[in-house]
Amino acid sequence: MIGISVLGIAKIFVLFALGLYIIFALVVIKQVSLMTKTVEVGLEGFIKLIAWGHLIFAVVIFFIALTIL
Amino acid sequence: MPDIFVSEQKNIKAKPHFAKATRGGEIHRQEFHSHNPLAAYCYFPDNVRFVAKDSHERVVLFLRRHPITNLGWILISILMFLAPMVLSSFPLLDFLPENYKFVAILGWYMISIAYAFESFLDWFFSVYIVTDERIFDVDFVNLIYREISEANIDQIQDVTTAMGGVVRTLFNYGDVFIQTASEIPRIEFEAVPHPDQVAKILRELRVEEEQEKIEGRVR
Repeated sequence: MIGISVLGIAKIFVLFALGLYIIFALVVIKQVSLMTKTVEVGLEGFIKLIAWGHLIFAVVIFFIALTIL
Repeated sequence: MPDIFVSEQKNIKAKPHFAKATRGGEIHRQEFHSHNPLAAYCYFPDNVRFVAKDSHERVVLFLRRHPITNLGWILISILMFLAPMVLSSFPLLDFLPENYKFVAILGWYMISIAYAFESFLDWFFSVYIVTDERIFDVDFVNLIYREISEANIDQIQDVTTAMGGVVRTLFNYGDVFIQTASEIPRIEFEAVPHPDQVAKILRELRVEEEQEKIEGRVR
């Protein structure tokens, strides 16, 4: 019973951390948007793609954690 | 009191010496002209646009820190990506259930990607731009804070280059310190390739700007 509650608390912490990470990934997208508006050299599309991929990865991990923990 | 002599209005369009190089595709034959968006030193880049650029301005030099300066974060990123595989033989996470272990490893990879990406962005977007009118230092201090320092070419008072150490000498990169009479007294181009060449171009631009003033060519 104690083991289950400890893991339950751990799950809440993990999900909270992953939620914060999703916010960080959103900030990265905002940052990339600001940077590409400031300087354009011809690689903006690729960099935006990585930033969005990073956000999708963070969201997927959040849902994996929500499902399997 | 009537004017004895009134000089006729000088309104001749400026014809910078550097503009000559842009004719007839000459710049494409220049040694340091590059179409690579990852280039750290580009002479007369074709596709560079930035927020503070005026329509008549021409970018003469586009600079970043030398690519070799990325070696540190690239090595750390590789180690971070390899760490779960190497550490799997040690019982570090054995106290965790399998599902927690799986999420921990995924989270580690996520942090590694973020570290590598942020380091790349810091290098890629921290640029130094020299136009035929001004110099710019574009810095991204943190995630959402941007700082652009600029000075007019004719406000440059002194240009100093510094290149020391084995790696810097071997890969020919160093710092260029520009003393200016503008609000920002000193602009630094850190770890840029060919610092002597940069100083030479800045000197030529200053001479040209002086010449424009003497001849009364105004923009």
